[in-house]
Amino acid sequence: MSCQRLKDWIEERYDVEEMKRLARHKLVPVHQYEIWYYTGGIAMFLFVLQFITGMVLSFYYIPYFEHANKSIIEIVTKLNMGWFFRSIHHWGAQLAIMVLFIHAFSTLLLKSYRKPRELLWISGFILLAISIFFGLSGYFLLWDERAFAAVRVATGGAGNLPVIGGFIKAFLRGGIDVTGETLIRFYAFHVSVLPIITLALIGIHVLLVQYHGMSVPLSLEKKPQKQIPFFPNLFYKDLIIWLLVLGIVVSLATLLPPEIGKMADPLAPAPENIKPEWYFLFLFQTLKLFPGDILGLNGETIAIILISCGILFFFLIPFFDRRSSRGEKSVLFTWIGVFYTLYFIVMTIIGFVS
Amino acid sequence: MKIAYSLVTRRTFLNTLFGGWLVAFCGGSLYALLKFAFPTLGKEPDFVVLKTTDFINIPPNSVKPFAWGGKLGLFFKKENGSTYALKGVCTHMECNITYKPEDKKFYCACHKGWFDDNGKNIDGPPPKPLEFFEITTEGEKLIVAKKGIKVELPKA
Repeated sequence: MSCQRLKDWIEERYDVEEMKRLARHKLVPVHQYEIWYYTGGIAMFLFVLQFITGMVLSFYYIPYFEHANKSIIEIVTKLNMGWFFRSIHHWGAQLAIMVLFIHAFSTLLLKSYRKPRELLWISGFILLAISIFFGLSGYFLLWDERAFAAVRVATGGAGNLPVIGGFIKAFLRGGIDVTGETLIRFYAFHVSVLPIITLALIGIHVLLVQYHGMSVPLSLEKKPQKQIPFFPNLFYKDLIIWLLVLGIVVSLATLLPPEIGKMADPLAPAPENIKPEWYFLFLFQTLKLFPGDILGLNGETIAIILISCGILFFFLIPFFDRRSSRGEKSVLFTWIGVFYTLYFIVMTIIGFVS
Repeated sequence: MKIAYSLVTRRTFLNTLFGGWLVAFCGGSLYALLKFAFPTLGKEPDFVVLKTTDFINIPPNSVKPFAWGGKLGLFFKKENGSTYALKGVCTHMECNITYKPEDKKFYCACHKGWFDDNGKNIDGPPPKPLEFFEITTEGEKLIVAKKGIKVELPKA
């Protein structure tokens, strides 16, 4: 009874029927590549998981160099289910970044970035970059020896960029070196700056998907399209997949809780066998290809400039790929997409096993 | 006084005025915000003063760390007893290095860089040798200074 009254109350003020009609009328294409459509939804689901677990962790984490490492140990040893939420936050982050890479490469290979979806590609690319920075800043909050060395190398690497490098390095570090100041700064990035940008960008990204509809691969575009309603058909499929993903995250979090290293000491040597997080391994391996000195120039700087150019080209692909924007077959960019994907996978594997 | 005609319309004039106001306001705010967010940079020290007794008696073929500003400094005694001080930071990506007494070499674990006991980069990616300092002793004081720096201690 009262439920009906509440419904009426809302409907008198807001046009709920219209929204329902919109949801009912939204159709999504069905074809052999549709499995890639789910990667975006999975990424969004993992982001929600990260936001929730991150919020509860921030109740207890202390972003001060003397207490940071200890406060995480307290979270996982003394608080109710603390180990679980911390572990979920860790594995959620790993999977989110992995899914984002899969989402990006599938978009690249299916050329879903083509006209008029350039802004979708751009907002997605920035979201991927932000997620990696989320990963790095979160990793640093552990304030253990590995995190300390990793952030020194990452910020130092950014410092190798010509002209703006020094500025970026000092801005990220909050001084000339990685110190407790850097920890506070990275905490601020991790819990306030990045989340707000991420929320805004996810909003834009999802709105743009609604505006343009789902992209159909070039090869299928001209054939007759089969479509199914988004609600409830695809929505239920999404829910099934999210449940599976939740199962994976919870299993990983329970069976493989991440370790916490020794508290960082700015005067201690870098720990043996140190390696960056897996999503930096392809960069790490690329850097290794360059000698320290190339024709009298700093090899590191040259490597970083070349890597930056590679990333910039990736970012601008929708604007370079003129053929697919005209709706024609674009073999060259298929190969470029395959090259980027294989390079990332192969270099990551080499970095992992070497 | 009434102006017969004007080069700009009232609308353009007002748009420019308000536009200018907005640009000035946003620009100024952004500048102030950036100035706030951008740190005042410190500087590495020119020299540090340590206690001689803490360092001079370390065994040969070993190092002892000290703080060089916020960075790692290493006091190093070679096997023949000669002593040195150097910055314990890899010249490649700024990771802290460690001394391997069995190899008589310095090692950086971040990207597998090696330096010999004179600080020369001999293997891996480091592009430059390690930075060695000058050491002098004045009674109890062990003064570690950048090369070419004239140290003037305050008279106590």
